[in-house]
Amino acid sequence: MSILTKPTDSGLVEPLPVGTPQKSAWQRYRWILWVVVLGAALAFPYVVDRPRFWIPNIGIKSLWLGTIAMSLVFLNRYVGLLSLAQMTLAGIAAYGVGYMVVTLDQSVFLAVPVGILVGTVAGFLVALIAARTKAIYFLMITLAIGQVVYSFASQSIEVTNARRGLAPIPRPDLGVVDFTQLHIFYYGALAAAVLCYLLCRYVAATSFGLALQGIRDSPERMSALGYNVNRYRIAAMTFTAFIASIGGVIMVFDRAQVDPDVVSLSSTLDILVVAVIGGVGSLGGVFIGGIVLTLLDNFAQNVTERYMTLTGLVFIVVLLFAPTGLAGVGKQVVRALSTRRRAPQAPTAPDVPTPPGITDPSNERKQQ
Amino acid sequence: MDQFLLIALNGLTLGAVYFLVASGLTLIFGLMRVITMAHGTSYLLGGYLGYVVARETGNWFLGALGGAVAVGILGLLIHQLLIRRFQDDDMRVALITLGVSLIGTDLMLATFGGTATQVPLPPELQIGLELPGIGQYPLIRLLILGVSIAVGVGLWLFVNRTRFGSIVRAGVDDSQMTSATGINVRVVFALIFVLGSALAGFAGVVGGTLFPLLPGQDGTYLLFSLVVVIVGGMGSIPGAAIGATLVGLISQFSLVFAPTYSLVLTFALMVVVLAFRPQGILGRRAATA
Repeated sequence: MSILTKPTDSGLVEPLPVGTPQKSAWQRYRWILWVVVLGAALAFPYVVDRPRFWIPNIGIKSLWLGTIAMSLVFLNRYVGLLSLAQMTLAGIAAYGVGYMVVTLDQSVFLAVPVGILVGTVAGFLVALIAARTKAIYFLMITLAIGQVVYSFASQSIEVTNARRGLAPIPRPDLGVVDFTQLHIFYYGALAAAVLCYLLCRYVAATSFGLALQGIRDSPERMSALGYNVNRYRIAAMTFTAFIASIGGVIMVFDRAQVDPDVVSLSSTLDILVVAVIGGVGSLGGVFIGGIVLTLLDNFAQNVTERYMTLTGLVFIVVLLFAPTGLAGVGKQVVRALSTRRRAPQAPTAPDVPTPPGITDPSNERKQQ
Repeated sequence: MDQFLLIALNGLTLGAVYFLVASGLTLIFGLMRVITMAHGTSYLLGGYLGYVVARETGNWFLGALGGAVAVGILGLLIHQLLIRRFQDDDMRVALITLGVSLIGTDLMLATFGGTATQVPLPPELQIGLELPGIGQYPLIRLLILGVSIAVGVGLWLFVNRTRFGSIVRAGVDDSQMTSATGINVRVVFALIFVLGSALAGFAGVVGGTLFPLLPGQDGTYLLFSLVVVIVGGMGSIPGAAIGATLVGLISQFSLVFAPTYSLVLTFALMVVVLAFRPQGILGRRAATA
């Protein structure tokens, strides 16, 4: 898990799948897993018993939580920086949309690009401040920036309407696609999340992405080779801000409003929980994390009122015992079982995993 | 002019509280190279416990002692159960303690509710003091300023001038060699963590006497302690004093002249310091790596 390693040795800890010795069976059948996961995601609105509950509370929320967490994971995996500002950037994008729609009374066609732009530019500015630092300092500074944005959002009447927030931000009916219908909106969010995932994979494979990984492993050497390390870091953070902003736009239409809670410390921690449960090295694993968190969120309330305590406990347990997250547990088990060569099993539509989740075999194969 | 002096003094006393909180954080970081994100939680818990003890016993000092000791013991538990194994892994410690703070926030809300409480102060301390150029000023604020200065000087002497302090510094520089000389480094680190947590708990009682205790303040005080140590330089106790003074003064002056932007200005301070000295005002160069 690269967040938990010093920058100098992180390359050894999280080898890319290409180099792993037991890749054959796993790599060959991975597309099956993909088809199954996508199929399950596409069928999801039609197989659940109570669509009006499942689609927004589990489906759509997992998607935007996952997308925002994916931006965190990208930054961590390929640049070696752990940022706690990703939820803040998503929240800024959400505020951008809200300000355009509610305060300026503009159409969504304008509001969505402006929201994404605002979030991305905010990410660039955060990067200018934070890129000079690394590791624990970077974590602290991004956390501090997030808290400052939170307090600004909850105080500034003119811009953010303070604690009341900006509302209503209805989902648009674009004629051809009617986002006011829940399942259409779900598919829109799914498409956005998948595109973000593919974009992250693509960027990681470009020469830019390779340079980032070089910088992660040895900034001094890359600097000696003539790379401007700081500029690359800033560019990477701006890119992840763009991804987080897309998550923020989905979020704002899901919630139909934006208030300071979206940039609060506990929302920031939600994203971190999603990323850590999903495995902070795995881009796709975040969606497992999203599902686990939303399920906890919705079903733990039947068992206990202390849902946040439960989330915190799961978070700590995952960190203590499975530092590569649920997706990483899958990888470890695959390695251990490699003699048995079973084809990846079909993950069913989201089932309720046991809260620690890490010993539940049905979860282990959902992602690489 | 009177008003200016008054605001400055308010800023200094606020800075004194910030220093008390941040000193524990910077002590732990300076000596153990880990950062605990549960520090704001320790602050708020200390405040609440101090409130309960002071209300039951009617004695403020027992409350302060109770808050500090209880949070110190909790710190020992957290260190032994969650942190000790990951001593060399600062990121994981930061994340685990963030999890602890999430749990702490929730449990404190469940236990102490959402309404504001304040640690009761003995009546003989609820008096004003006539100050030249200012007029009546609450004695307790001046006392807290004095306590804070005493704690700061004490900590600095403790780390830099005592045998235990030199053991701790040796343990940071080379824990294996220090162990080889017959010192139990683990016990030393555990004690430092307990001391840092107890300081946060004590700060909570002090802060809870001046200001109301509310849910969400764990996050606020975590933020302020982070800003203070970032500005002052991680691990430096004099740096934390400078950082806390600056943050306190900026908070109070902006509260009067630009209330909405109080935190934004504090943040601007952090940006300016980072732009010119990424390691903080008194931070060591090596600390940025």
